[in-house]
Amino acid sequence: MQALPLVATPRGHWIFHAVLGLAGAASTLGAAGTSAFALAAAAALIAAGLGFSLACRRAQHEAQRRLLEYVEGQARFGDRLAPVWSGQIDASRTQMETAISALAERFSGIVEKLDDTARVSSEATQTLQGTGRGLGAVFARSEQELDGVVRTLHAAMHSKAEVLAKVRELGAFIQELQDMADGVAKIASQTNLVAINAAIEAAHAGDSGKGFAVVAQEVRKLSALSGETGRRIAEKVASISEAIGDVGRAAEASAQDEHRSTAASEEVIRQVLADFRDVTGAMAESAQLLNQGSAGIKSEITEAMVQLQFQDRVGQVMSHVVQNIDRLPDVLARTRQRFEREGLLQPADPGELLAELERAYAMAEERALHHGRQPAHAQPQATEITFF
Amino acid sequence: MPKTIMVVDDSAAVRQVVGLALRGAGYEVLEGRDGQDALKLLDGRKVHLIISDVNMPNMDGISFVKEVKQRQGYRFTPVIMLTTESQEEKKRAGQEAGAKAWVVKPFSPPQLLHAVERLVLP
Repeated sequence: MQALPLVATPRGHWIFHAVLGLAGAASTLGAAGTSAFALAAAAALIAAGLGFSLACRRAQHEAQRRLLEYVEGQARFGDRLAPVWSGQIDASRTQMETAISALAERFSGIVEKLDDTARVSSEATQTLQGTGRGLGAVFARSEQELDGVVRTLHAAMHSKAEVLAKVRELGAFIQELQDMADGVAKIASQTNLVAINAAIEAAHAGDSGKGFAVVAQEVRKLSALSGETGRRIAEKVASISEAIGDVGRAAEASAQDEHRSTAASEEVIRQVLADFRDVTGAMAESAQLLNQGSAGIKSEITEAMVQLQFQDRVGQVMSHVVQNIDRLPDVLARTRQRFEREGLLQPADPGELLAELERAYAMAEERALHHGRQPAHAQPQATEITFF
Repeated sequence: MPKTIMVVDDSAAVRQVVGLALRGAGYEVLEGRDGQDALKLLDGRKVHLIISDVNMPNMDGISFVKEVKQRQGYRFTPVIMLTTESQEEKKRAGQEAGAKAWVVKPFSPPQLLHAVERLVLP
């Protein structure tokens, strides 16, 4: 940038006017001699030259004062405005960072709570491997135990059926005993007939048959006893048969009752288990919905948190601009110092600050914008990764 | 026993986002605000991987990685630089300092996790 020598021209002017006055006086004296008029004219020319040069010098001082005021004003402009600009931007950046950080923390907390809720729900509704806790495990255990109860009831019914079968088998033996008692009665009757015939034959034999008649008599008595015993056996067998029949009927009635109550118990157990299964199924479905919802919310929050990365990028841009603004007072102060030192007024050069700003950039978008190009907005879906 | 990953970034929001992704994948996360803070946090602690920003106050990411690589017990700890910087010159500086990967922000958590799983110590 070319410095402007604004002060050189006024200085030349006042010397020029003084010299011009002196030269006029000298030529007047030379031309008109040393007459009173010539001397008065020369004095007037010198006075006019000196007066004019004095006026020029005053004007130059005034111009210099105004320029200094202007340069100082520019420096003050930078001193006063730059800290306000950078302070405002910095405060906004800090506020944004604090707010985004708090927001990210809240989101993080929500995700953690969702994870906890989903985990507790899963523990409650599903069997955790090796722990035996959870609704699913309780249901499986209950089902197993109640199945055991049903099996025990069935086993008891089976035992009773076996007892009933044995009782029925006893009924068959009773019939055999009855037949045997009838057989004894028939034998006794036949024996009695044989004894009667023997007694008749003994009477025909006269005295020699008396002894045989006694034997025949005894055989008749034994026959009568046998017949009596056979009848009593038949009576007892009939009583036993009746008792066994009663026992069998009672056992059968009891077995039917137990069968009905076992079937009813089994139905109740099945119903309870079905209800329980419905409840656990509904809870498991609810837990699954909760997990799916939780995963969906987590995904949304994660996406939202990814978008929050804009704070880091915007924060960096703001920091770079603030650093650059903070440098403005130095540049304006140097312009003032140079003017004071050399009397040269040089406009502030934006190139120095622009170069510093460009060196501070971290992102391709900043560089693109710096050179007036449209920045390509970075997308997190296409993360740039380089492995070394 | 979960593996531990140290995240160093001056932006709390970025630390939160990275931490959320890593914790979701089952890692334990140590957070440092800058290079100096992170060096204090290390303190002989077992760390399976470090994720560090580049532009940070007090101690920048490149200086931090150089310092970490000189410390006993951390010579082979893999480092991922996670930064908005994408200039080749900066990447070379990171590689020379000892970083194993360079990830440019903004990042997608699945892709960052892919890089982490590829490099994390067993």
